[in-house]
Amino acid sequence: MPRSRARAPPKTTDEDEPRVRADALQPTLALAEAIYDQLDAGEIPRMRLPLRTKQNLSFQARDGVWKLGRQLGTRSARKLDGALMLLRTFYLVDFINEMARDKKTSTLRELYYISEAWEEAKFHSEDESNLLIEDLEVLCTRLREDFRLHPEENGASVIGDLTIRERNRKGIVKTINCRDDVGDGGYSLPFNVEKEKIEFVSTKAKFVIAIECGGMVDRLAENGFDEEHEAILLHLKGQPARSTRRFLRRVTEELKLPVVVFTDGDPWSFRIYASVAYGAIKTAHLSSYLATPSAEFLGVTASDIENYNLPSDHLSEQDIRALQAELTDPRFGTPDWRAEIELMLKNGKKAEQQSLAKYGLNYVTEHYLPEKLTEMGIL
Amino acid sequence: MAPPPTIAQQLAAKQREISVAEFFERNRQILGFDNPQRSLLTTVKEATDNGLDACEEAGILPEILVEISKEGEDRVHVSVEDNGPGILRKEIPNVFARLLYGSRFHSNRQARGQQGIGISAAVLYANLTTARPAKITSKVEEEEAAHVLDLFIDTQKNQPRVASEDVVLWDRPHGTKIELVLKARYVRGRQSPYEYLRGTAIVNPHARIVLVEPDGTRVTFERATEECPPIAKETLPHPYGLELGELGYHLKGTKRPTCVEFLTKDLQGVSPRAAKEVLVAANLKASTPPGSVQGEAQERLLTALRGVPLVAPSADGLSPIGAMLIKRGLRNVLGEVRPDFFAPPVSRPAKVRGGFPFMVEVGLVYGGALPADQPIQILRFANRVPLLFQQGACAITNAISNMDWRRYGLDQKSGSGLPSGPALLLVHVASTKIPFTSEAKEAIAEDPEIDRELTLALQGAARHLRTHLSRRTRRDLASEKFAIILKILPKLAEKTSHLVGKPIPDLIPVITRIMDVVNVETSVTSAAEGVRVPVEITNYTPRARVLELFVELPAELLAHATLEPAPDGTEAALGRAWWTLPKLAPSGRTHVELRFPPRTDAEANDFDWYVAGIDEAHLLGADPLPGDWEVRLPRTIVEAAEAAAEEARAPGAGEEEVDYDAAESSASAAEDD
Ligand SMILES: Nc1ncnc2c1ncn2[C@@H]1O[C@H](COP(=O)(O)OP(=O)(O)OP(=O)(O)O)[C@@H](O)[C@H]1O
Ligand SMILES: [Mg+2]
Repeated sequence: MPRSRARAPPKTTDEDEPRVRADALQPTLALAEAIYDQLDAGEIPRMRLPLRTKQNLSFQARDGVWKLGRQLGTRSARKLDGALMLLRTFYLVDFINEMARDKKTSTLRELYYISEAWEEAKFHSEDESNLLIEDLEVLCTRLREDFRLHPEENGASVIGDLTIRERNRKGIVKTINCRDDVGDGGYSLPFNVEKEKIEFVSTKAKFVIAIECGGMVDRLAENGFDEEHEAILLHLKGQPARSTRRFLRRVTEELKLPVVVFTDGDPWSFRIYASVAYGAIKTAHLSSYLATPSAEFLGVTASDIENYNLPSDHLSEQDIRALQAELTDPRFGTPDWRAEIELMLKNGKKAEQQSLAKYGLNYVTEHYLPEKLTEMGIL
Repeated sequence: MAPPPTIAQQLAAKQREISVAEFFERNRQILGFDNPQRSLLTTVKEATDNGLDACEEAGILPEILVEISKEGEDRVHVSVEDNGPGILRKEIPNVFARLLYGSRFHSNRQARGQQGIGISAAVLYANLTTARPAKITSKVEEEEAAHVLDLFIDTQKNQPRVASEDVVLWDRPHGTKIELVLKARYVRGRQSPYEYLRGTAIVNPHARIVLVEPDGTRVTFERATEECPPIAKETLPHPYGLELGELGYHLKGTKRPTCVEFLTKDLQGVSPRAAKEVLVAANLKASTPPGSVQGEAQERLLTALRGVPLVAPSADGLSPIGAMLIKRGLRNVLGEVRPDFFAPPVSRPAKVRGGFPFMVEVGLVYGGALPADQPIQILRFANRVPLLFQQGACAITNAISNMDWRRYGLDQKSGSGLPSGPALLLVHVASTKIPFTSEAKEAIAEDPEIDRELTLALQGAARHLRTHLSRRTRRDLASEKFAIILKILPKLAEKTSHLVGKPIPDLIPVITRIMDVVNVETSVTSAAEGVRVPVEITNYTPRARVLELFVELPAELLAHATLEPAPDGTEAALGRAWWTLPKLAPSGRTHVELRFPPRTDAEANDFDWYVAGIDEAHLLGADPLPGDWEVRLPRTIVEAAEAAAEEARAPGAGEEEVDYDAAESSASAAEDD
């Protein structure tokens, strides 16, 4: 299986710490200044932004992650789409400045609805507004939290022997053990997982296992896997949110715990792993802050499907296209990944994590995981 | 013992006259009576065609009333009434109850009827299937009352039998009505009387056609013009189209005393000089009486006629629909489809095949409610009669299928076969003798001459479609740019000015850079005072422009137009006029207007606008002046045009940059956070 790129990431410096920085608004006004000057000079207004495409990912050896490369695209008022995005940008900048004055924050979804009042500049979907916020992050080298914008609370859950201190909404600091002090659902990560919100106190765990599906998290918890093997279980909930990825990054950095990623065996799960370990395309500008390059892929791999003779489905046309796209994705450019993707294409099969139940409810915790983890040198 | 009969004797014993009933039974298919549904259509068609033919000959605006009602399980009562000249009492029995009796076989003139079979076949079918007589009511103008006859066909003798007769008062000055009861079935939809009458209405916009269906639904195809089409002249037979038997028939029947006179006066296209040459070649004397040319001499004469160059057959016997009426007919009947575009119909000049003139006309309609994802609709017509069967075997369909329609903006797999798209094609072939694939007159036979004309006409219509589509694309692009400069840019300026706390800058330089076109906006508005065609020319480019504006419109329209300001030049015969416009600064604007008398039939498609002094890429709502106009342009315009061409060659700024909002964001859709 592909080994993660070996280097341990350097410790994040203080400037990378997110909090609403006092100078967050200044770069947004600089953008307005630039467009105003163009209009005043009789030039067609435009902005240049790094392209957030897989072709424009470049590997940063220093951090061991994939970041945005140097290719630039132009957003110009020459085209209708470009003109609309420019106009939206300044409605957004105006709104952000207004929130700062009023000391308010807004969820991403609320912003989407705020735009109802922007007439032709209103967003057609939340995807569109999220993309523009990311553009603004890139242009201003700030985080969306700096603009007082944040996602809804919808955090991943953590189960295991990890004690943290969380400062809650009322400013009260609570000490919580993620196994003993929580219900069956585990500890739910808030959207802000930075130091000022969450501090790590102690842990007896030896590693973190990040899991794609809730059903598998429940299985491991019910079978007592976390206690028996001293593991922290983390539910990724499909494509992991920024907070989940940031949390994993902090766990490896501060607690020095290894992370393994356990997903379904299909092309989409490969992408989940890539965004955890290497950085996601959409947020490549934040990779050195969100990605966990030491995270390793556990499975289900294409060869697991064969070796464990797992119940499988045929790859759909969409699956095949996704695998082929991955072959041209630089993040999957290692010989190991290429071999894995090509094997899946060759066998034409995919399988779910929970297909391991074919051999009984204990099979995954008594056989599959111990075998794989031993192979990876974690147990 | 008598010797056994010889073969000849055996055959002689079997020889007998074949009754028309037997003839009919054997030829049901080619006569169009092979099933109950089709028999009804054929009956309606034969009666309607006859009504229209009769009206046309008499110069009457046709009113056709078709009523169909059920009579028992599998029987239908059909009544077709026309306001034609009527039929004399003594002719009625033969016209309706005797096969091969007609007035057109030798007329050499475009007509729907050709053979003298049509209506009697319908009567025979009714007689045979229900044993009920045909009821004919007919009145001629000079008589007070109408004759009503109940007719049967004596199927042994092919003779009419009058079952009963009466005279009645009829509330119309003249006309004919035929009523039949036949075994038949009424359905709407494809290949139905409805479809046939609708097609008929399109190509006969001078006719008013009413259909009453069995459930009482009354469909009216209102006429779209009050003018009768010009009556096609009866023409003399042309030697190139004569068969030997026909030549014999004419030689025998002529009243001319000599062969020279026969050749020059009873035939078409034979000059006295050619006649002399022919007679020498045929070894006949000029003074020979035509009646005495028989047998082998007839053959020599025909061969000689074919070997000598003659004047081509005249097109006087043709009655084309004409571009104007094709458009009106289509618009009248397709109103509910609301097409975006009626291409100017193509009416090709008459050509000749064999001894017969023919011509091709094509109309094309695009957009609106026409289905976009299906093969285009084809309306085929021969001598103004819709062809509803055998589409696949027809020369019209083949000509369409053999063209590459992708070049003209329609979908077509691999560049042949029926194209798909929201389009309808009307194709009319008119001739004094249409080469049908069979007596059923359902499809036109392949013929290289006809195919050539069909292809040229179709290409003409297709080019109009391509122009329309490319104009539409440019209009869409323009409306995008207008949205930017009118709606977005002012707000962008307002927002950024507000954020930086400075006054809103002058936007004209940016607007002209974004648009970078000269826009020609035209419209046609009709009001009580008259029809106005205002034209607004705006310079949305960053530099001053000197331009020449040209318009081309049907010459008859230009003749009635008032131009404001007065044009700097006109060419009335070609329907052209042009103006040197005042110099336009960036964002500068000027007007021109054409005015017409009230109710002029003019629409935007009638006007073609051209501009000189700027290149195509910077022109909207008009096209660059075509090379063949040969107008002397003022020097300033020539210089402007040269500068514009230079400008067009210079590489555009910002063109090679990647558009951020169009760049594919690849896998990102699956990577949500
Ligand atoms: N409604 C009518 N009004 C006046 N004359 C008619 C009418 N119907 C038929 N006739 C006359 O009767 C003749 C015979 O009609 P019929 O339909 O049998 O043959 P046709 O129209 O000449 O040829 P075709 O067999 O091709 O239809 C016509 O040629 C025409 O002179
Ligand atoms: Mg007829």
